[in-house]
Amino acid sequence: MEALISFSNQFFKPILSLGGPPVMFIVLTLLALIMKVKFARALEGGMKLAIALTGMGTVIGILTGAFAPALQGFVKSTGIQLSITDVGWAPLATITWGSAYTLYFLMLLVILNIVMLVMNKTNTLDVDIFDVWHLSVVGLLVMYYSNNNLFLASLLVLFIGVLKFINSDLMKPTFNELVNMPESNPTTTTHLNFMFNPIAMVLNKVFDIFLPFIDKYDFDAATLNKKIGFWGSKFAIGCYLGVFVGILGQQELKSIFSLAFTGGVCLELFSFMGSWFIAAVEPLSQGITNFMSKKFAGRQFNIGIDWPFLASRAEIWAAANVLAPIMLIEALFLPGNGVLPLGGIIAMGMTPSLLVVTRGKMMRMIIIGALMLPVFLLAGTAIAEFATKTALAVGAFPPGIAETQMITHSTLEGPVEKFIAIAVGKFGGNMTIENAIKMVTSLVVYLGLFVWYAKQMKKRNIELAAKKQN
Amino acid sequence: MIKVLAACGAGVNSSHQIKSAIEEEMSNRGYQIQADTVMVKDITEELLLKYDILTPISTPDLGFKINIPIVEAGPILYRIPTMSQPVFDKLEETIKSLNK
Repeated sequence: MEALISFSNQFFKPILSLGGPPVMFIVLTLLALIMKVKFARALEGGMKLAIALTGMGTVIGILTGAFAPALQGFVKSTGIQLSITDVGWAPLATITWGSAYTLYFLMLLVILNIVMLVMNKTNTLDVDIFDVWHLSVVGLLVMYYSNNNLFLASLLVLFIGVLKFINSDLMKPTFNELVNMPESNPTTTTHLNFMFNPIAMVLNKVFDIFLPFIDKYDFDAATLNKKIGFWGSKFAIGCYLGVFVGILGQQELKSIFSLAFTGGVCLELFSFMGSWFIAAVEPLSQGITNFMSKKFAGRQFNIGIDWPFLASRAEIWAAANVLAPIMLIEALFLPGNGVLPLGGIIAMGMTPSLLVVTRGKMMRMIIIGALMLPVFLLAGTAIAEFATKTALAVGAFPPGIAETQMITHSTLEGPVEKFIAIAVGKFGGNMTIENAIKMVTSLVVYLGLFVWYAKQMKKRNIELAAKKQN
Repeated sequence: MIKVLAACGAGVNSSHQIKSAIEEEMSNRGYQIQADTVMVKDITEELLLKYDILTPISTPDLGFKINIPIVEAGPILYRIPTMSQPVFDKLEETIKSLNK
């Protein structure tokens, strides 16, 4: 055994010491080759991933470097500690795709998908390879808090993976209704943001029972979005945030302008670099899809893609736009929060779930959203230390930034799963009775809520089917 | 040169997949295509004036009438050739009808 360890150390150490981008360049290229992707395409993917990792690190550096003095000034003058920089989804995706464990979790989930399809426990064939990073965050969090207990991390990823596949089947009739798809259309999604549905459904139930009159005040989302126009675009939001942070940090006018334009540049660049990531994983995604569809040739299934097929519903954007200033105010006053919303201020990690649960009732989406945003902010705060250290470890964090400067994503999908991952990880790191109780309680409540939600959805699906027949 | 606008939720994932698939397949079929990507919420009437065809992941409600041809491109994302073929065929038909 020792010989094996020393051999693998001798073999892998020099490769690992190359740092994040070169390692992922090698790993992704090799993996795509294993999935029978052509050499040139595989190499292209590997190179794009390394470039995306490098580019994202640079943009994080620009943003945190520019905002750090103002944020420190803000802390000094007010005593409010909102010193964690919210870099939005793209850098977090970079961090997770910079870890080879993401590819390992991807393999686990592909195997899980095959097993569940064979056993008829799901009808969903998941081809959304890129979004594995959301569950990878969960796995990596367990690893972070448990001194790298890969076994526990794998178990939790598989557990949530099972629920995700079941959820995608449960939501399919609602998707058909929301975007007017015929039954024959196989589109569905296994995206982690819909694992927020059970909690949203609890609040939706409260509306059903106590406040049904609120639906009378619903308004047209498309008209609102049209009115908002460019004021809600990425660069504009980046500019407001720069001004906001500059004023809070009591900066000079010149610095405020500079912060505004830096904010605008960075929000645009984050999403630009984000697109490199997706392009990087493209050859591998195609390889896995070819493999899966060959294995299940002839079977009818739903196909899980990324959630944006729902983006045609204007409510997602209208709710997110209205919630943005609400989140900013909540962030200032929420006890325990350390995040100033920035890159994640458009709460796309939440509004698609609200759309599905309320079926597009705007007033409910906004009120439930406002009540639930604190969960996202607190989860964002809770994962900041992990995100920062992992960014450093995979080379996605730039040098020259103060070590106290932490990064996170304020509206990262699956906030509840982050807390569960931390509970599981802490148990793995320190197996005391107290930690075991915390872990088991959180898992039982999580599963219990999901089971209740599944029953509600099944009831709804029967109603939807009956409505269609009439 | 036919200008196509691919639209999806965040303007990063799905729309980029649609853009590269359309550019590759249509150039194989002998057409000159340039596709751009956009977030659904950033589509405006002025923006659409610059494009010949809109290829959203699913047809959006934008609060105004879309005056250019729409080809729903969602099935491209399934990555299964038999399912994306009809989208490319419809796109080719639409390009021909533009008479450009």
